Amino acid sequence: MNKPSDAKPARTDGRRQRSVRTQQLIIDAYLLLLRESPQVPTAAAIARRAGYSVRSVFERFPDLHTLRVAATDHVMSQASQQAAGHPPKGSRAVRLKTHVETRGRVCEEWLPLWRALNANQGESAELKDRIRRVRELVIRRLETMYEPELSTLGPVERQQTVLAIEALIDFESWARMRDMFGLTYEEACALWVSAIDRLLPSTPSVS
Amino acid sequence: MSDASIKKPNRIDGRRLRSERTKQLIIEAYLALADAFSPRVPTAAEIAEKAGYSVRSVFERFPDIRALQIAAVDYAMAQVTALAPSGKLEGDRQVRLQSQVRARAEVCERWLSLWRSLIINQGDSMELKDRIRQARERYMARLEAIYRPELSTVSELERRQLLIALEALTDVESWARMRQYFDLSFEEACTAWLQAVDRLLPRDPASA
Repeated sequence: MNKPSDAKPARTDGRRQRSVRTQQLIIDAYLLLLRESPQVPTAAAIARRAGYSVRSVFERFPDLHTLRVAATDHVMSQASQQAAGHPPKGSRAVRLKTHVETRGRVCEEWLPLWRALNANQGESAELKDRIRRVRELVIRRLETMYEPELSTLGPVERQQTVLAIEALIDFESWARMRDMFGLTYEEACALWVSAIDRLLPSTPSVS
Repeated sequence: MSDASIKKPNRIDGRRLRSERTKQLIIEAYLALADAFSPRVPTAAEIAEKAGYSVRSVFERFPDIRALQIAAVDYAMAQVTALAPSGKLEGDRQVRLQSQVRARAEVCERWLSLWRSLIINQGDSMELKDRIRQARERYMARLEAIYRPELSTVSELERRQLLIALEALTDVESWARMRQYFDLSFEEACTAWLQAVDRLLPRDPASA
C-alpha cells in the first residue's frame, strides 16, 4: 500500500469522530434546555447552548423531530444501562429498594424528555414507537425484579398486578409526588416501596 | 316610575341572557372540538364555526383562547362533580370498592380526551394548573371518604401514602393505558383496578 491510502482512513475516522461528538453535544444541549424549561427548545437556542451554528444543527439533524428521536434513543440506552447496573438479586426488600430507587432516579432525570415526547408525538410513528418501547422496558424491568412473586400468580392476575405496578411507577405519578405533594426523593421512594409491597403477593419460600 | 324605566331592565336582562347563551354555546363548541382533536387545541375559527358565530363574537366574550379554555375547564369540572357517579360511601368493603372503581372508570372513559388535552396544554398557566390540582384534591377527598373504614386503621403518614398511591393507580392515564395500550375491555380494566385497590387498602378491623 502507498502512503496516501494509509493516511486517508485516519483522516476520515477523525472527521467521523468529530461529527459524532458534535451530534452528541447537540443532543446534550437539547436535553439540558428541556430540563431548564418545559417549553420546546428552538433550533437557535439548541445551537447556542451546544456552541455551534444553527446550520451545524441542521447538518446533523434535518429537523427538530429527528433530533428529538435521536435524543430519546440516547436516553433510552442510558436508562437501560442504569437499570442493568442493578441486577434483580436479593431478598424482596432489597429488590424493592433497588427497583424503586433506580426508577425514581430515571423519573427524576428524564421526566422533562418524557413530557416533551408525549406532547410532541402528534402523528409521529417514530415517537409513538419510542413511547411504547419505554413502557415495554419499564414492564420488562419490573417483571424481572419481581419474578419470584409474580411466578406464583395465574396469567390474568399476573397481568393485573403488572399493570397496577406500572401505573403506580409512571413518570407523572413521580412528578405529582415531588411537585404537587412536596415529597422528598426518599419519601417518594418509601411510598412506592410500601405500595408495591402491598400489590405483590407473598414471596415463595425457597425449597 | 316612568314606562321607560320599567322597560329598561327587561331589555338589559334579555341582552344579558342572549350573551350568556352565546358564551355557553361557545364553551360547548370548544369542549366538543377539544374532545375530538385532543390533544390539539382548536383554533378560534374552528370554534366559531362549530358554535355558529363569528370569530369576533368569540373574542367579544373571551379575550383569548386561554380564557375560553379556563371557562371550559370550569364548566366541565362542574359537570363531572354534578353528574358523574362518585361511588358509594355506605356499605361493606366490596360494595364500596365496586362502586368507586366503576364510577372512576366511567369518569375516565368519558373525560379522557379532554383531561389529556388539559394536561398537555397547561403550559405555564397558573389558572389551569390550579384547576388540575383542585380536581386531583377533590378526587382524593372522595377516596378518603369512601375508604374511611379501612384508612382509619393506619397512621396519618400511612393514610397519606395510601391516598397518593390510590390516586396514581386510578389516574386517567392509567385507565387509558389499560384500554388503549393493553387493549383491556371496560370490564377487564375494572377488574384490574378492583384487584389492585383491594390489595392496596388495609384490611378493615371488622373483617380481620
